[in-house]
Amino acid sequence: MMRPAMVLLLFLAAAAWNLAPTAARADAGTCFSCHDRSAFSGPVVHAPVERGRCGLCHNPHVARFQGLLRLRQDRLCYSCHRRQKEAFARGVVHEPVASGNCTGCHTPHAGSGKGLLKEDLAGACFACHRDLAGKYRYTHQPYAKGECGRCHRPHRADNLQLLVEEGDRLCLGCHDGGDLAAGHRDFPTPPGGCLSCHNPHGSGRSALIRDELHPPYRQGCGGCHRPGGLTVARCLECHQDVQQQMMATHSHLTRRNGNSCLNCHSPHAGDTAALLRGPVRLLCVSCHLQTLNGYRQSSSKHPDIQDCSSCHEPHGSSHLALLKGDGIALCVRCHEDQGRFTHPVGPGILDRQTGQVVTCVSCHNPMGTKYGYQLVRDGKKALCIVCHRAY
Amino acid sequence: MNSPCLRQCLLVLALLPVLCGPAHGRNASGWQWSLVLKQNKVSDAMQMPTALYIDPEKGQYYVVDSGRNRLLSFDRRGVLLHIFNAGKGLQTPFDMVRTGNGGIWVVEKGKNALSYIDLKARSITPATLRYQGALVYPDRLEAADSLLYVLDKARGRIIAYTLEGLAARTVFSCPDCDGGFIDFRIHEQRLWALDRQDRKVFCFRLDGSLEKVLALDGRLNFPVSLAIGPSGSIYILDRHGRDIVVYDRNGRFRYRFLGRGISRGQLYYPVEIRFDPWGGLCVVDEGNARVEIFRR
Repeated sequence: MMRPAMVLLLFLAAAAWNLAPTAARADAGTCFSCHDRSAFSGPVVHAPVERGRCGLCHNPHVARFQGLLRLRQDRLCYSCHRRQKEAFARGVVHEPVASGNCTGCHTPHAGSGKGLLKEDLAGACFACHRDLAGKYRYTHQPYAKGECGRCHRPHRADNLQLLVEEGDRLCLGCHDGGDLAAGHRDFPTPPGGCLSCHNPHGSGRSALIRDELHPPYRQGCGGCHRPGGLTVARCLECHQDVQQQMMATHSHLTRRNGNSCLNCHSPHAGDTAALLRGPVRLLCVSCHLQTLNGYRQSSSKHPDIQDCSSCHEPHGSSHLALLKGDGIALCVRCHEDQGRFTHPVGPGILDRQTGQVVTCVSCHNPMGTKYGYQLVRDGKKALCIVCHRAY
Repeated sequence: MNSPCLRQCLLVLALLPVLCGPAHGRNASGWQWSLVLKQNKVSDAMQMPTALYIDPEKGQYYVVDSGRNRLLSFDRRGVLLHIFNAGKGLQTPFDMVRTGNGGIWVVEKGKNALSYIDLKARSITPATLRYQGALVYPDRLEAADSLLYVLDKARGRIIAYTLEGLAARTVFSCPDCDGGFIDFRIHEQRLWALDRQDRKVFCFRLDGSLEKVLALDGRLNFPVSLAIGPSGSIYILDRHGRDIVVYDRNGRFRYRFLGRGISRGQLYYPVEIRFDPWGGLCVVDEGNARVEIFRR
């Protein structure tokens, strides 16, 4: 009984071998009869290119992916670079890596840089990081030289800024000793938390002090550093409007050494008037990393979510998910047509199962789903019959 | 097909459950939906219920309806008994307990206060709490042995106050935790506290000394509440995962159950979990505006 099964297996294996792409074994000369060979040569050449194995990555006839790639870009790369696939899946993953855009930084055929990096790597960084200025009045040297890799890891790290070292250790790798003490004389506490005052890229102020100064910091340290400690209440003495927001059903009053304001805000200096410690999305992701991962992995999601605070109230809200308003008012700010003509929603339209008002988010989840239009269920039937049970 | 081949097929089918591994899915939990606490009048449904208090002597459940500034009471069959809004005097109530003299203590976030409601006198007395001079932001609340245990959300610590005079007695804190505690339970003379940021559960003796720390694994998405089961199992409510994850008394994962949705037995922004004295596992589902009770 086993013999027929073995024969069948052997037959299938032979068929698979014969059906293997013939171009993989074809002479690369065929390809170079049209494609200029000089574009595929350089000081560093990708191994498959060197061996003339164009068919390893490209289908010469037809393909689903741009560039006639056999597979999605990242899957193609990881089919050989398997160790990297595992390594890059842990911790905080750089966005181009998470989205499988290897050629954002690497040239797949040949280049002049080690690791097949594009010649103008800093240019590749700034292509995405457009909010970073190209130049400052006072520019940090590594930044000025385009040496992003001096401080940042390009693929993944265990911290959100993708730094090669966490905290002040990175800064102290170059800046230490007497200069540091001399520059921070008479400080109420030992110097630490470098980025609370300094912009590591550049600034309009000397010593790379961030552009916007907290008024108490500008006036001296005693405004905040006084008996009673640096508590939330200390901040709210001045920021009383925030006090009201904190007294909502849900708030971001979560501890950080007793002062949750410092989760997001620097008490010393910042790049904007809000004195945020970094870009909004980065701050949110410092606690909500899994939300970002879920968003990245969803096939259908609200595009270009860069600023979480466009929909979510960062201090406190009495709406679910800390939304700034109900699940209609928020959406129709942009989706005006749907606000005028849509499935019945709004006051008086109540979900019979929960008694809650039907809103846009009753059916859509902008943070991502596996169904089209960010629907929470399949829109052909499954979503509708949750309420319309008679059908 | 000859009989040896048929026997092989049957053997494979019989071994499939073993070959596929233990059923860690939702059907392995044994928990079945039993009861729902909700306002059946749809136009007067709860909005964002945030807490559940259980009175074992009266056999009643009390739900804090934060969105409508009121408290609802239900009997053990889930029948709505009373709706109480303290003369419209409640401002964003978040949690509550009842103490022996029949009074109600309510965390009112709208006033940043712990308020005492005297039903006989028909009065609400809000109290601003402090500890060592610093303002406290009350969040979660428990009562045990003539003490009120209050979670200070701003500092992520739990402070035990006396009922009379609200004098601070004991503090339960975790100096090394990045985020502090976000929920706690008192169970068999121990205070169990949940550290969301580090995914840990702390067990304190009631004198404030730490007994043990359990590190939970990374499968939690956004834990918000915990309950300790009768056998010592730890039940963690995952708000973004929309489910309950169960660990044994040593912090080892056992199973998870429930899922997202609006139908019976499904969750949408759940906020609190606790056991009632009658074997029920109660889940306060903020998004679906109800409390669901599951039993084995």
